Amino acid sequence: MSALSSKRPTVVGRIVTAVLTIALCLFALFPFYWMVASAFDKYVGTTGALWPSQVTLAHFAYVMTEGKFGLYLRNSLLVALVVVVASSFIALLASVAVARFRFAGRRAILLLVLVIQMVPMEALVIPLFLQAKQLDLLGKLTGLMVVYTALALPFGVWMLRGFVAAVPIDLEEAAYLDGATWWKMFFHVLFPLVVPGLVATSVFSFITAWNEFVFAMTMLGPQIDKYTVSIGLRAFFGLHANDWGAIMAGSTIITIPVMIFFIAVQKRLAGGLTSGAVKG
Amino acid sequence: MTESTLKNVGAGQSPAPTGSAPRPAEATSGSPRRGAAQARRRRTSKLIRPWALLAPGLIVIGALLGWPIIKVVLLSFQNYGLRQIVSGTWNFNGGANYADVLGSAQLWQVVLPNTVVFAILAVTATVVLGTLVALLLAKLGPILRGIVSSVIMIAWAMPAVTGTYVWSWIFDADAGIANQLLMSMGWMDQPFNWFTNRFTFYAIVLLNVVHHGFPFVAITVLAAFLGVPREHIEAAEMDGAGPWRVFWLIVIPQLRQVFAIVIILSTIWDFKVFTQVYLMPGGDGANRDVLNLGVWSYTESFGQNKFGYGSTIAVLLTVVLLIVTVIYARTILSQEDGS
Repeated sequence: MSALSSKRPTVVGRIVTAVLTIALCLFALFPFYWMVASAFDKYVGTTGALWPSQVTLAHFAYVMTEGKFGLYLRNSLLVALVVVVASSFIALLASVAVARFRFAGRRAILLLVLVIQMVPMEALVIPLFLQAKQLDLLGKLTGLMVVYTALALPFGVWMLRGFVAAVPIDLEEAAYLDGATWWKMFFHVLFPLVVPGLVATSVFSFITAWNEFVFAMTMLGPQIDKYTVSIGLRAFFGLHANDWGAIMAGSTIITIPVMIFFIAVQKRLAGGLTSGAVKG
Repeated sequence: MTESTLKNVGAGQSPAPTGSAPRPAEATSGSPRRGAAQARRRRTSKLIRPWALLAPGLIVIGALLGWPIIKVVLLSFQNYGLRQIVSGTWNFNGGANYADVLGSAQLWQVVLPNTVVFAILAVTATVVLGTLVALLLAKLGPILRGIVSSVIMIAWAMPAVTGTYVWSWIFDADAGIANQLLMSMGWMDQPFNWFTNRFTFYAIVLLNVVHHGFPFVAITVLAAFLGVPREHIEAAEMDGAGPWRVFWLIVIPQLRQVFAIVIILSTIWDFKVFTQVYLMPGGDGANRDVLNLGVWSYTESFGQNKFGYGSTIAVLLTVVLLIVTVIYARTILSQEDGS
């Protein structure tokens, strides 16, 4: 029985399905597997085998000490944390406005939120770099925090409005009946009920800040002690030979937190991108 | 906040359906006059409140996304280099940058094909593979389906930066596993440098982008598949339709909107591929054969300090994307109005 047919599959059909499923999993997993396997391989890139010949933690040790990855992780976490708090809060306020109020310009705002997400980074990075230079924000994490908060906002608003709209309006009205002001209602009724949405939005903001590359590279420039993890790896690329063991160890460290968060909110993420069917 | 609620405010009745609803000490019950004043205040705030709530978001978006877009357009009409950065003055040169960019052989022979042909191939490959995977997932039982869905999520969760490094490592000329396997199987005599040739370079970018993009399509299309009413499928099967006819005549028509969104989103993403090109060997502008619009704009600006010229390229890319986006916005907003 499958979802698209009510007929029982034949034996041949079952075998084909099994083979395809295994092939799909191998294809999906191979880069991740190869990254982790290379990161632990003492003789990385010399054996031609598909598994580590001798397992070692040396690449990780090198990356964390010589590679300054402890510092980069701290920088990235700091930036991501500020971005998560700032963008979630601002996005929540805006999403309440578009989900709970009917006002002139609401549709234009929704359109703006949609359209602004599509502007390519390369168009933003030139003017923002020039602006940051004038404001003396180059080489500082503050500049990145502000930019990432803005980058995470549109998707946050888009996603949260669905959660806000899903809160029954009766609950709000009950709070008013009890004499609550709008702000009391917001913090005591609406806020607790949209926490799941805030979690999903926070995860998305975190991933945005953690993965971002173009702005970090441009705005931090030569300020190595301010590097975030996504640009911290570039130091391992030598002029003649690349230290692939270290690059893969660093890549593993960057990827693991993203992967955990991603799988935790996988359903909401796919839904958030195509939502619109949710009434808002 | 309907009229009836406002009328009830002074009545002092509070049939709160949940225990979590707050009961503030200074409840307004019993005083009709205060109730009326409050109703008036609420009506005024109903007009102001949405804008007050939107204000922080609009300010941030306006200052960090809106104004830069205006500024990049202004820059695109200027000869803006290091001297202008230092002096902080404008230096308009009419449409000279546009004439330059649109008249350059680099654009028509290298950059535009690398951008447009790549996007078409990537979108086609991503959507076809994603749909096939969704079909496969639909055939599986619920438990296995959940497991395989999580497995393909791993491909999606891979950050662009690390994903690109891993693919660069797999195809590394000296020690990459791809060359080693091909040589040990006797298909190649000596290591092949995949990154110096424009076509093999983009074949790897394609592999990277499709590998990263198909899970989104698969999961979204699968959700739509599962939403197709079983009775429709069974009815068609009763009428003697085979799996292909069921798929094309029953399933696909129900999925038109989902496919429209998936295709448009993929188009937007694949047009502005930057990291996946820039971080590959030679992709940062060192190899001019593999430039696409995004990387070209970036290297002209930050490599050559020609910020005006780079802005012009960025504006052209943005215009292309905006056209695609308007189609996206129309699709998604018309869907909303229909619900």
